[in-house]
Amino acid sequence: MSNNRLLIINGPGLSDLSNYNETAHDGLTLAAVQKKCAQACESYGLEMDFRQNDDEAELLSGLIEDINNFDAFIINPAGRSQTSSVDLEIYSSVINEIGSQDKPVVEVRIENIFKEGNNKPLHGPEGRLGFVGGFGMYSYVLAIQSIDKKLRNK
Amino acid sequence: MNIYVINGPNINLLGTREPEIYGNETLETIAENCQKQASKAGHVVQFMQSNYEGKLVEYIQDAIKNAIDVIIINAAAYTHTSIAIHDALKSYSGFKIELHISNPHIRESFRHETFVAPAADAVVAGLGADGYGHVIGLLTDLQKHYMQKK
Repeated sequence: MSNNRLLIINGPGLSDLSNYNETAHDGLTLAAVQKKCAQACESYGLEMDFRQNDDEAELLSGLIEDINNFDAFIINPAGRSQTSSVDLEIYSSVINEIGSQDKPVVEVRIENIFKEGNNKPLHGPEGRLGFVGGFGMYSYVLAIQSIDKKLRNK
Repeated sequence: MNIYVINGPNINLLGTREPEIYGNETLETIAENCQKQASKAGHVVQFMQSNYEGKLVEYIQDAIKNAIDVIIINAAAYTHTSIAIHDALKSYSGFKIELHISNPHIRESFRHETFVAPAADAVVAGLGADGYGHVIGLLTDLQKHYMQKK
């Protein structure tokens, strides 16, 4: 059975990176991020599905339906409202499910969210969820590299 | 590029310390892997570890003095307590990366606060011991296309 299907999901706000003021976003577009991810996945022999949705509920229900169709996951929750504990709980339950299937999942952020002070990372089961942030679009590349290694070691 | 990889307290116990969290790799095998990745890309890595907070501050000050290009710092438990390390990193103008083998944000709540990340450019956590090598392998691309924008 194949063990190389990677789902990359991008949350609200990431459709227009010019909304962000961080230097990490300078001139960066989601299309450029997608292209970079596609190149990285191709070099590792990973099959990539790259999605973005401004509707958090739609994004998450799609992800839940697709947990069984992918072997690894990258999640950039982006605009996940910092005030929404409901969204955070839904993310956590999805990540718990992915973790229980022993599939790698990495949270990716274009910027260093800890510089902002009020931005919290996602939650998940201990030892199951990775985090990469602050490398611009290379945050995704780093996560893809890690996922490739983890899938190969399985 | 010249790179400092700075490791904090208890990292010298890797391999025997709670392997279910930190894995089976030892500090020596991580150091070897860092050197391997670095020499492939033509970088020079100095790999260091101390259990003492002040020593970690001095490593960062050495990086300032020697104009080192990149710091990768795993401050371990001092991450959550050390304003001194935060201040030293603030004074360092090169590219600085906070790294953790596990992901502290999904562990005990006393590990949720980090004084290192707000002073760093980027954060890597929970990718295991492989995280070090992955980061070093990416530095050439980062230098060409990303670091100068920071």
